[in-house]
Amino acid sequence: MSLGVQPESAADVELLHAVARGDEAALARLYDAYRVILFGLLVRILNSREEAEDILQDVFIQVWRRAKDFDETRGRPFTWLITLARSRAIDRLRQLGARQRLATGAAQEQTETVSDALSDTIKVAERETVRQALAKLTEEQRHTLVLAYFDGLTQSEIATKLNAPLGTIKTRMRSGMIKLRALLGSQFENLGQVGER
Amino acid sequence: MTHENYKELLAAKTLTALDAEDARTLDAHLESCAECRFELSELEDTSALLALDAEPLEPSAGVRGGILAIVRAERRAGSVPANYVSADASPAGNNVRAFTPPLKNVWLSLGSFGAIAAVIAFVAFSIALVMLWQKDQNTQRELARVRAEMNQAQAQLDREHALGELLSSPDSHMAKLNGTNVAPGAHAMIAYDKAGHAMLMAKGLPSAPAGMAYQLWYIKDNKKMPGKVFILDAAGNGTLEDQIPTVARDAAVFAVTLEPMGGVQVPTGSIYLLSSS
Repeated sequence: MSLGVQPESAADVELLHAVARGDEAALARLYDAYRVILFGLLVRILNSREEAEDILQDVFIQVWRRAKDFDETRGRPFTWLITLARSRAIDRLRQLGARQRLATGAAQEQTETVSDALSDTIKVAERETVRQALAKLTEEQRHTLVLAYFDGLTQSEIATKLNAPLGTIKTRMRSGMIKLRALLGSQFENLGQVGER
Repeated sequence: MTHENYKELLAAKTLTALDAEDARTLDAHLESCAECRFELSELEDTSALLALDAEPLEPSAGVRGGILAIVRAERRAGSVPANYVSADASPAGNNVRAFTPPLKNVWLSLGSFGAIAAVIAFVAFSIALVMLWQKDQNTQRELARVRAEMNQAQAQLDREHALGELLSSPDSHMAKLNGTNVAPGAHAMIAYDKAGHAMLMAKGLPSAPAGMAYQLWYIKDNKKMPGKVFILDAAGNGTLEDQIPTVARDAAVFAVTLEPMGGVQVPTGSIYLLSSS
């Protein structure tokens, strides 16, 4: 995986430039391309469709206001959008605190019902690749990454939750991410281009 | 803290898992370390891909309209702020930039309370106008959405009616197509009568990329005969009416592949749906 613009993401770079020029249609196209993956991520983090829709709207308003800040020499549109959405969701999650983290039952049930009808919107092979890469991590590495990425826990919080030394958690997290980077980077240079087309 | 110590914090930063003190010291280091900024960017790409582990989900239709309504209201109000507050104040090397507070005290520059009151009144009036306009826009969008749903429901009824007629034919046959490993959630049914009039209804297929479509195939004795192509509707369903070649009407296998939009004579793409032989 390398820095800079991949040919596959050039279209999204153009869309972001158009949004920066005030092109509403470009924003709509960007939303159409990324809504499903971003909303799935937000629901996974927040366990609430209502909260996730609120954040999704906020994310695209931010895209509208800050598209001019996007610099393709620093990263990909996919990474920029995911990072923006996830940051918002983790902020909200930390505001909501443990109350939301515990409210998994009903929301999860609803999520599963909806997702059956929507397996079409993300390229199946690419999702499968990520899942296979995760499966190649040790259980401890995978669990640590998931607690950080989807549950928004810090390293200290994970150490407390798992009753493990902080140093161990730091090592697991770094080694897990390095391994994941090697697994994904070597197989799919263009894996970041997953928006619906 | 050494350079290597900082490098060990990079992965956790991309997961927003650093504790506050570590985050502060790393951000300071990133300001002056190009090597760490480079590795951080790579790890951010990896971190972003973890999003694909979440199940894809469709938000409510109203979200899109809500976003565009706000955007239009902002455009009309002429307010696309260049210094919007960032909740994720960022370090060097990150595309998401931090908020820069305004330097000028606008209240002092207005000069008088009368001017302040006038500005407040104007802003309140503008907000009220925008809210009224948004309400009207929302109503229009809701009407359009309901009309689209009615049209879609009517089309679905028509398809089901046609399928019912086909199935009620005394000579009708039916075959089920299951999703392959590239589309495990997909499934379809094909019904056809003695004259070869066939109807396919598919669900759960991934959206075809631009310029591509799904194509039906009739396979008999390892010979692959091309059928028509189809694309998915807004609900993700695919339907197709076709005429099955005479030779394929008896004991044929049916398959669906992803092909160029106009269809091909010999299959080139992956098989997404396949009936049992």
